[in-house]
Amino acid sequence: MRRSFARSTPGRARCLGHSRRFSPTLRPCKSNGCREFRTGSYHGGVETGSGADQFLTTRWSIVRAAGGQDKTLARAALASLCQSYWYPLYAFVRRKGVAAQDAEDVVQGFFAQVLANDNFLRVAPEKGRFRSYLLVCAQNHLANLRDGEKAQKRGEGRAALDIDFSSADTRFGLEATVEDPNRAFERAWALALLERALVGLEQEYRASDRGALFDVLKPELTGGTGAGYASYAARLDSNEAAIKVAVHRLRKRYRERLRAEIAQTVADESEIEAEIRDLFAALGP
Amino acid sequence: MTSLSCPRCGTALAENQAQGLCPRCLLEAAGGPQSQADLPASADAPQGSRRPSAPTIEQLAVFFPSLQLESLIAVGGMGAVYRATQTSLGRTVALKILHGEIASEPGFAERFQREARTLATLSHPGIVTVHDFGSTGPHFYFVMEFVDGVNLRQMIRAKSVPSAAALELVMQICDALQYAHDRGVVHRDIKPENILVERSGRVKILDFGLSKVVGAQPKSPLLTRTHQVMGTPHYMAPEQWEKPLEVDHRADIYALGVVFYELLTGELPLGRFAPPSRKVLIDVRLDEVVLRTLDKEPRLRYQQASELRSEVEHISSSAVAEAPPAQPPPIPSIQPAPPLPPEREVPPPTPGQRRAARLLQRARERQAASRESRIGAAVRKTETAVGTLGGPERLPGPMIGLIVYFGMCMALIVVVLLFYSF
Repeated sequence: MRRSFARSTPGRARCLGHSRRFSPTLRPCKSNGCREFRTGSYHGGVETGSGADQFLTTRWSIVRAAGGQDKTLARAALASLCQSYWYPLYAFVRRKGVAAQDAEDVVQGFFAQVLANDNFLRVAPEKGRFRSYLLVCAQNHLANLRDGEKAQKRGEGRAALDIDFSSADTRFGLEATVEDPNRAFERAWALALLERALVGLEQEYRASDRGALFDVLKPELTGGTGAGYASYAARLDSNEAAIKVAVHRLRKRYRERLRAEIAQTVADESEIEAEIRDLFAALGP
Repeated sequence: MTSLSCPRCGTALAENQAQGLCPRCLLEAAGGPQSQADLPASADAPQGSRRPSAPTIEQLAVFFPSLQLESLIAVGGMGAVYRATQTSLGRTVALKILHGEIASEPGFAERFQREARTLATLSHPGIVTVHDFGSTGPHFYFVMEFVDGVNLRQMIRAKSVPSAAALELVMQICDALQYAHDRGVVHRDIKPENILVERSGRVKILDFGLSKVVGAQPKSPLLTRTHQVMGTPHYMAPEQWEKPLEVDHRADIYALGVVFYELLTGELPLGRFAPPSRKVLIDVRLDEVVLRTLDKEPRLRYQQASELRSEVEHISSSAVAEAPPAQPPPIPSIQPAPPLPPEREVPPPTPGQRRAARLLQRARERQAASRESRIGAAVRKTETAVGTLGGPERLPGPMIGLIVYFGMCMALIVVVLLFYSF
């Protein structure tokens, strides 16, 4: 058992958001329901190299590795994943026949339950991906709701995640109709993943004053529009050779970002290709 | 929903999905090994297979008549660095030539001019000074201060950084960061390779703001053989990946936290990492300092590099104060005399004030010498380890032990033979 920080040093330990003593081990601050965790960070990408330890920087691998100890970081990682992929769950719930107004309550209630329980500690090894885990949990949750559990009503308790549902219904209405809820979930998941990768790539280019480059060359991510490099060169006041290099760099960076996004949701890097294949199939006709 | 479809695969497209691009084609582009046909001849290749080539000294000399180019020092992701002498001043400088494919990017010239001018105004003892910048022929270049020393990566590999030296290094880095942040310049690529340490113990930060000029993004040196997955950029703050447009100076503080952890423990803070005091014998108060700099929320980190410096200095000085006193008696604090109006005559200092000023000066010199000697010793140890310093050839430890053992055996045999011969 580690010694208390307060006893071992003359200094004053405090929660980063509140002046309250607590152990320097990775525990949440309980001051006024503060939800901050004084933890290390996890990065937005895959740590490649030898050894499973190298992979422990992705969110899902952190969740899976929690075991019986130090669930704080795992809960934070799980919350971050849920925050990123709430919309596929919303689409799943709507396809199950839940009305728009109720779907928001169901989604928040579901996440509240996921984050409050430690069910993620009991995820079976074969369910290696976060997508699969979330879908199974969602199916169970809806089944329990049908069996009589009340969904958390809007305004009751505190929302588990900060989700903006304002455009969810509109977005759902604009999507292609996929009757099977599981298929709808996977399709929405694939689109959410692509959106995250593209938005991140766009912001990266804009942050380095290359927004115009991104806007013009973006179609090349899927093979281009047939306009040709000469057309791009004219628009960007450059030459074809430079455009060719810029396109290559854009594609390479996009690929890196997308694979890193996928890596966040799998437990092992060997699953990335399989996840891409599954999502590709989900987007099929 | 629109009726547009992808010309390649026929998938229905929607304006509000994947920014109007075909989602199936986007996924297909990310799967499988990257096609070699996709690589133009001059583009940067997967790391480890080919690095951009650097121009030779003979090729560059014609473009830099005022410089005498001496040697190629390093080739990195942004460009190549050469040691040179400014013939008019006789001053040794470093010439950095940016890689051709970086400089050829559309819009680069404007970005370069805009950012380089700001970078050249940075003048701080902890920042490598930019003497000149511009473009000549096909080359974009910087002429910079030449730093004779090693970088932190070499020092970490050589395991030559004691904890006390690590604290001093971090404080110097904080000073330089605060100076640049006050002028609106964010480094964005703080890592051990970009932090140089002179033999005198002075820290110099390299490539301030350059990553924005070249549009470079930090990359991990770790890549799998079959997949070019984005390795974790170890020093990149989470917001640099997730919200690039919201990056500010606090990303540098995060990166410094990673460097700080690595200096103390020799390891990177990956995943569920242990606080530094669990890995090495250091003041446990440093745990909170390091963990706070590594907070993934920028608002929860130290908001200024100077705050971090103050905390580290407080811990460092209080640790010295708790140690058995081996120092001279404490220096009496003196209040500097307030500036007098020019028309008044300045009275000469009293003997007591002169003595106190001398003692204070000597204490500062001792402290500076102590700091420099700690870091300087670490630099010299690193240089010996990397072979930079030419010194007498040293045998490895086990070899010395073997030689001593056999020497003793031979001496024993000689003694026995002499005994029996008499």
